[in-house]
Amino acid sequence: MPEQIPVREGTFRDGSLLANKCRACGQTFFPKADLCLSCSHDVLDEVVLGRQGVLYSWTIAHMPASRFMPPYAMGYVDLPEGVRVFAPLIMEENRPFRTGMDMGLVIEPLWIEGDREVVGYKFRSLGEGGAS
Amino acid sequence: MREVAILGVGQSQFGKFPEKKVSELGREAVLAAIKDAGLPAKALQVAYCSRIFDAMVTAQTILKEVGVTKIEMTNVENACAGGSTSVQGLWKDIATGMYDIGIAIGVESMTTSPIAGKLIPPDKDDLEGQLGLTMPALFALLARRQMDEHGATLEDFAQVSVKNHHHGCLNPMAQYKKEFTVEEVLSSRMICEPITLLQCCPNTDGAAAVIMCSMDVARKYTTNPVKVLASVLLSGGYTYERDDITISPLGQQTARKAYDMAGVGPEDLDVIEIHEAFAPEELLRYEDLGLCRPGESVKLLREGATAVGGRVPVNPSGGLLALGHPLSASGVRVVAEITMHLRDQAGARQTPGAKVGLAHMLGGVVAGLEAGACGIQILGR
Repeated sequence: MPEQIPVREGTFRDGSLLANKCRACGQTFFPKADLCLSCSHDVLDEVVLGRQGVLYSWTIAHMPASRFMPPYAMGYVDLPEGVRVFAPLIMEENRPFRTGMDMGLVIEPLWIEGDREVVGYKFRSLGEGGAS
Repeated sequence: MREVAILGVGQSQFGKFPEKKVSELGREAVLAAIKDAGLPAKALQVAYCSRIFDAMVTAQTILKEVGVTKIEMTNVENACAGGSTSVQGLWKDIATGMYDIGIAIGVESMTTSPIAGKLIPPDKDDLEGQLGLTMPALFALLARRQMDEHGATLEDFAQVSVKNHHHGCLNPMAQYKKEFTVEEVLSSRMICEPITLLQCCPNTDGAAAVIMCSMDVARKYTTNPVKVLASVLLSGGYTYERDDITISPLGQQTARKAYDMAGVGPEDLDVIEIHEAFAPEELLRYEDLGLCRPGESVKLLREGATAVGGRVPVNPSGGLLALGHPLSASGVRVVAEITMHLRDQAGARQTPGAKVGLAHMLGGVVAGLEAGACGIQILGR
């Protein structure tokens, strides 16, 4: 199995995204902030974000990006902790995207860089009713 | 602070000119502005120049071609708002009395840049860019919410492109002088759903220049100068601070500050030039600028209010979609365009009797921020 590296250190662990929350004002940050960007307090506690959210917006690109070949989907997913995450979306037949649909987090390799796999996060539709 | 006047404006032809050097594009715009101002090039005391791709000391490289050396020259970058930043720097220098007369230049040669024919690549620091977020994707994500929240339709987005391409046909400097129908816009190649190719600004080479001076200097050259009523440049806030992405706190804040400084409101504007890199974006900007209430931009478009001949024409130049978008030049070019309307020199696209106009530019995608920078100038006479 090839060596795996995260797309960004500290953004996920054990299948969940990681944020942090200011102990003074309660603002939550994803990716984690070094100090509170709202009140400048420097004590923040790690928060393991919920793995399900709601699709806020989406698009399907029909032209390549630096790491993605068309067609590829991406969107914003609102997580229960009040965090909006931009992420690639997994496209599935018979499951067209629509805003407001329930989405589940998937941690998996995104691309190969040299002999290493770059691992990151995506979301996929949980279908009607949000059952996974 | 003193009153600042616009004495001369100029732009190069906009289009794809891989054979032209940046110094040639810049010289074309600078010479046009100098001629328009009716003063010797050596009268310039200070210069700003904005450019993104891909070299150093561009102001000096351009101005040495027209006999201007040994003055204070500053080169700036602020993504697509670089031109606004160049104008803002010059305006501050004259308003504060540091200098009496100077030039703001913006120039870009996209066809000879390292990203010629490609999308603007994400920065290594930009996590969202690494994960596939491109410029058209960002505006596609906004467009989806415009449709869901405000009832915008695919036809509305296409209509923005139809309108601005029509305006481009009225502007001899435009990159594209071709009419399109709504059907043609919608059936052009899909880029990022729902945005099609004819709803995207092209890659453009071009330059623009604006000469500003104190009112004392201006009165030596003209009896009725165009005045800079406001010049504002602000950077964007954090994305976590806003819930509805169709509302732009940056745009609203910049507009409010500009209206306060100018002592006018959106109802006083006769003509407007804005950043519409992608057709759906133009509707968002109507709302930032307060041309209508939130959610009513579609109504404003459908009424024809923002077309040439309408109540408040938006992007009579053809905008970024048809006139073209040499990134760092656009913020200077919009000021030049508004100046021409206020002087009744805008030809077939003229807004009759225009007294007050607004020039807007927006730039920069930074993960975690709403945008890099927003610049607004309000001009009047």
